[in-house]
Amino acid sequence: MSVIDNLWWIPVLPLVAAGVTAVLPRSSRRWSAGLAIGSMVGALLGSLLAFGVAADFAQAHPGVVQVRNFSWFQVGETWVRLGWLLDPLTAVMLVMVSFVGLLIFIYSVGYMAHDANFTRFFCFLSLFAAAMLGLLIANSLLLLFICWELVGLTSYLLIGFWFQKPSAAAAAKKAFITTRVGDIAFLLGIVWLYSEAGTVLFYDRGAGCLETGVLADLLSSVNGFGISAATSIALLVFLGAVGKSGQFPLHVWLPDAMEGPTPVSALIHAATMVAAGVFLVARTYPLMAAVPTVPDHAPPAITTTAETHASIVSETHGEAARGAVSTALKVVTWTGVLTALMAAGIAVAQTDIKRILAYSTVSQLGFMMLGLGTGGVGVGMFHLITHAFFKALLFMGAGSVIHGCHEVQDIRYMGGLRRSMPVTFATYAVGMMALAGVPVFFSGFWSKDAIFHAAHGWGPSAMPFYLGLAAALLTAFYMTRQVCYVFFGEGRNPVPGDGHHAVQAPHESPGVMTVPLSILAACAVLLGVLGTPAWPWFQSFVGGTSLTLDWAELRSTESLRIMGWSALVVILGIGVGWRLYARISSDPKAPDALCRVRPDIYSLLENKFYVDEIYAATVVRGHAGWARLCAWAETWLWAGAVQAAAYATVGLSWCNRVFDEYLVNFSFDRLCGGLGNGGGWASRWQNGRVQFYLRFIGVGVVLLALMMIWGCRA
Amino acid sequence: MSHAELLGALLPELVLVLAALAVLVVDLTALRELKPTQRFLGGALVSVLGCGVAVVLVGLGNGSVNLLDGVLILDPLTRVIKITILVMGVCTCLLTSGARLPANAGEYFCLLLLALTGLMLLVSSENVLVIFLSLELASVCLYLLAAFDTGNPRSVEAGMKYFLFGATSAAFMLFGFSLLYGLTGHIDLRQIAGALGPGTDPLMLVAVVMVLAGFGFKIAAVPFHLWAPDAYQAAPIPSSALIASGSKVASFYVLARLVFTGLGGTVAAPGTNWLALLAILAVSSMILGNLAALAQSSVRRLLAFSAVAHAGYLLIGVLTPGGEALPALAYYLILYGLTTIGAFGAVALVEGRAGHERLPAFAGLHQTAPMLAVCLLVFLLSLAGIPPLGGFFAKFYLFATALKAAPGNPILLGLVVVAVAASAVSLYYYLQVLKQVYVRPPGRTGEPPLSRMATGAVFVLALLVILLGAFPGALVHVLEAARAASAF
Repeated sequence: MSVIDNLWWIPVLPLVAAGVTAVLPRSSRRWSAGLAIGSMVGALLGSLLAFGVAADFAQAHPGVVQVRNFSWFQVGETWVRLGWLLDPLTAVMLVMVSFVGLLIFIYSVGYMAHDANFTRFFCFLSLFAAAMLGLLIANSLLLLFICWELVGLTSYLLIGFWFQKPSAAAAAKKAFITTRVGDIAFLLGIVWLYSEAGTVLFYDRGAGCLETGVLADLLSSVNGFGISAATSIALLVFLGAVGKSGQFPLHVWLPDAMEGPTPVSALIHAATMVAAGVFLVARTYPLMAAVPTVPDHAPPAITTTAETHASIVSETHGEAARGAVSTALKVVTWTGVLTALMAAGIAVAQTDIKRILAYSTVSQLGFMMLGLGTGGVGVGMFHLITHAFFKALLFMGAGSVIHGCHEVQDIRYMGGLRRSMPVTFATYAVGMMALAGVPVFFSGFWSKDAIFHAAHGWGPSAMPFYLGLAAALLTAFYMTRQVCYVFFGEGRNPVPGDGHHAVQAPHESPGVMTVPLSILAACAVLLGVLGTPAWPWFQSFVGGTSLTLDWAELRSTESLRIMGWSALVVILGIGVGWRLYARISSDPKAPDALCRVRPDIYSLLENKFYVDEIYAATVVRGHAGWARLCAWAETWLWAGAVQAAAYATVGLSWCNRVFDEYLVNFSFDRLCGGLGNGGGWASRWQNGRVQFYLRFIGVGVVLLALMMIWGCRA
Repeated sequence: MSHAELLGALLPELVLVLAALAVLVVDLTALRELKPTQRFLGGALVSVLGCGVAVVLVGLGNGSVNLLDGVLILDPLTRVIKITILVMGVCTCLLTSGARLPANAGEYFCLLLLALTGLMLLVSSENVLVIFLSLELASVCLYLLAAFDTGNPRSVEAGMKYFLFGATSAAFMLFGFSLLYGLTGHIDLRQIAGALGPGTDPLMLVAVVMVLAGFGFKIAAVPFHLWAPDAYQAAPIPSSALIASGSKVASFYVLARLVFTGLGGTVAAPGTNWLALLAILAVSSMILGNLAALAQSSVRRLLAFSAVAHAGYLLIGVLTPGGEALPALAYYLILYGLTTIGAFGAVALVEGRAGHERLPAFAGLHQTAPMLAVCLLVFLLSLAGIPPLGGFFAKFYLFATALKAAPGNPILLGLVVVAVAASAVSLYYYLQVLKQVYVRPPGRTGEPPLSRMATGAVFVLALLVILLGAFPGALVHVLEAARAASAF
């Protein structure tokens, strides 16, 4: 029994747990938590096994993907085929999702302990885990899309978990609808791909849509605007990723999604689901990066520099693309870097502890996109993994803080918590430093360094590198601001607007919450060693290249210069932040330090660049107007048409009735009457007079004889 | 030819004549002092015995016999028809027990047996003179049978009308035969056929029309049908049954022989549109018979008009070229004869209780006499041609054979279409009777019991109709084989 044949068990275990939990009574809290955690342990063990197998296999056959395809059902002559696969990308993600998932499940037992719908929560969590793991092993864009929608559904369910809160219900709707915009494009891309290539399998012995044969076909089919099908499909698929991963301009749902319980924010809206978009881009990277090499066929936007041989270059792996960069990857890069910068800016002026982290997530997802666009799968995915750990750590730390502060989320009403919540403070600080990218000791530094490295060497433009540096500066700044607000200074009034209530002091969270924090903190530090320039194990594993330990690489001028830039901006960010926020007024209502310096910028950032307002003024207004127009048309046009149709039907039925009564029935009655009359007429001859009878024979004979004679003459 | 040969060929008829004399003798001697019922029982017994012996004798014969240049013809198909006629005679005898008749039973059975003798001779001759004579023998006996209820003026009137009408048409027929003889110098059908040739002589056409008028009377085809309703209605019921069944079977058989053997040459002649003449008779019989039946309240008259309509259907078999439809025609005749006797028998039983045979007499029959009601249902639905009863298969077989024998013939196709449409109309009046039987409440209760013998006969007939409809293969096989072995 090979591992690949039984890979489907990994998502099925949590699915079974979700199914069983769904039918458990509400009171069986132990069972539901036990099932969920047990299934996640199983999934983690399976993932580790798969990881080992994948690592083994990758060494023996670099660049080869293990797949198992099967026929699902038949439509006409065509079989719809699905399948699963195992490659380093999947293996890494499986371990990350099941490990982080397991920790967050355990954490949730503590966090949700007092919630009445504890059982439902674990049912949804298990379902999410099943869908997410299924998404990772999917070898078909269709299966991936199914799981994609399922994680969307569980995200909706969990954001709206406290549906009695209007803001939570609204946030759930917002998340669902906004991601749906991207999903529509994604679905269009799948349909387009199917119509062009006839398959949605990724790998299918050379016939899959990520393999060179199909990619060549997709590239050679160019539409009227000079854009190849490959580019169009890649852009549509990327739109799906934009929706799911909260990239600009579809990022608006992610901060609102923080209305959900904090473990949900940590698991779904920080570590795993939002990374699904990044994973999607990584999975379809051959499609994203496909560039034609013959200049005639090249869209104008694509630079075709040194390629002269007539073949397809699909930049699947490794280092920054040399030479041609596909349109899709350019879009990915620019979207990523703009999102990173914008979201980091917005995070500077937020006051809700979870919203800051949410914008930080958006920003970091932008970094991942930047990494994918400029440096390939390895670079982007490395940041995804490190980010998953330290962001989960930060969210759970924030959850611990909120828990300790009795559901207060506004950082202006916290402060001085480093004394009352030492473990939380320590772990949070580790997470903060990893996120900010404090040099050498923290994983975030190395993963971000890899991105900067790639962006620096990016052919088309140097701008993303500098914008990325600016975003990193802002990241260090807003994280410093947040930590200062929460943990330093004096404790401010923990209950907003109500000083009279004697409130319990903030307290440390229980072990079930702090132990996962500690584990994650350790990971946030240690993971960095996997991707240093000297020993880029992660990049080579995911990218499928050979690995060498090369200290010289670390000491090269290039590396040192970029590390220097990176370290400089981090130190600058932290320094400025510390300078501004180290001593905060003990009055929660006092204006922000930055506000005093530049009120105009602060207000712009506080209002999130007015994106929501712009949407409200354009999309929402337009939609409402359109709805009003539809309502009007409904009332006056369609209703009229329906009314007219109804009258026409009535008229027609009336005509029918007339026809029926006066023509059909009438003529039938007439026929019957005629037959009856005919009977009377026929029997009238039967008058009983034998004289008449005899005359009748005579006349009959004569007539018949005459007829015969006449007939013979003619 | 030896006298012994002739005697052997005529043995069944001789047995019938002897039985006729025996009935008279027995009735006047042994049964003289008994009650009428017992006299009728005794007479019926002797007659049935005679018929039975005749059936056996007919059945024993085999091969084809042709004596005196067509005076006496015996072939398998003729034998089947003779047996059919005898069986119908037997049924008629059994029906007498339920009928209202005067006391002199011996005369009745004697006449009945003589009529059967005439019909037997009729079907076994190709000589026009013998045909005429045997037809007259049968007809005269039937006139008397129709008028037999001398105490009932209407019976006498019916007999009188039947006789006058029959005599006139017999005169036409004899005139026609004499014209044929004058034209050809022959009285044998085959020789007439050889001599006639493909001519369009008006005299010949007149002769043909006159002969047809005679047969038209016997088969009650429009416009020679006017006697039938009056005779059927007022004659004693066994007489009506015999006139409607045995007489009709024999006449149709002879008509078919006349058409296929005697006038075969003229049928093929261009311009001599025999088909058209018969087709006119057929169409007018189907339409008029069915329409007139709609207006009847007397079930006997209804059956009479239905007989007219059936004559129209049967003419399709005669019209089918080359005699292809003979087995189908024979099947239809047998089925029709059995069904009609059964229907008349049922009507007789109802009439015997209610005193009349108008529709109200049948009200609620399924409550007072459920078995009889079922039998009536079988007969009437068979006449209407509802599967799986015999009448359906008979119609189907006849029409299908006609269409198969002459594909694309517009006349036959038109006739079949008219026949199917007319059958649809006929369902109405048959169901009128059944509506009385099954839907209407019974008028009176405590009615006298039914004659067991007649009821038994009706029941057996109904069973036969069902069996022949459900398993038509056996009879069809016999008929097809007989036709193949016969001289048609």
